[in-house]
Amino acid sequence: MIKYILVYICSVFVASVSQIILKTSSGKKYDSFIKEYLNPRVIIAYSLFFGTTFISLYAYKGLPLSMGPILEATGYIWVAILSFIILHEKITKSKMLGLAVIITGIVIYSM
Amino acid sequence: MKDKVRNLVILHIMFMIFSLGAVASKTAANSEFLSLKFCFFYGLVLGGLFIYAIVWQQMLKRLPLVTAYANKAVTVVWGIIWGFVFFNEAVTVRKIIGAVIVITGVCIVVMADKDNTETADDAENTEGVSA
Repeated sequence: MIKYILVYICSVFVASVSQIILKTSSGKKYDSFIKEYLNPRVIIAYSLFFGTTFISLYAYKGLPLSMGPILEATGYIWVAILSFIILHEKITKSKMLGLAVIITGIVIYSM
Repeated sequence: MKDKVRNLVILHIMFMIFSLGAVASKTAANSEFLSLKFCFFYGLVLGGLFIYAIVWQQMLKRLPLVTAYANKAVTVVWGIIWGFVFFNEAVTVRKIIGAVIVITGVCIVVMADKDNTETADDAENTEGVSA
């Protein structure tokens, strides 16, 4: 079970990386609706996202369905860390508290 | 106001479709790799994600990021419901407590983001700086 939990968390991490890439893309202005979707960053981001479907599918071999969305919440932790490193966003105390609460919930759920 | 309610309804329909994608994913995982059943359910996963990707990108423009992400926590509830309905997964008190704590944590995180974003908005209109 723990192996599949780690695999799922890995998939959430990759999805978080793709979210950050989308984020850096959404701040830009594009000439057309099509270019909003068909630009390198969005394509890379969604390719990564596509990859996560395989990783999470593999994880579901050993995980109960309800565990997926619970582990999905680790995304907030990854996004906070990645935003701190890449976008230089601060991790405030209240955010830190929220992240700790998420981890507590995940641990209680998984026990 | 009417637009906001409409956008929230669209958002929640999207979360429901997205969470059903997990049902398809687990069904594919339980079937033989590249079998017809596998391909069908994996196709559903991709189809669901395609709709999700298009709608989510548009929703992020129409709703505050905070609202979008706080509401996303509802997928935890869908996971428990679909797990019970499709895979006979037990719903225990401990699971419910864990889920409530996770949802609470998500709300604290997105509220913390909201405070940051509002401060940033005062200085300069930087909608949804933090995820």
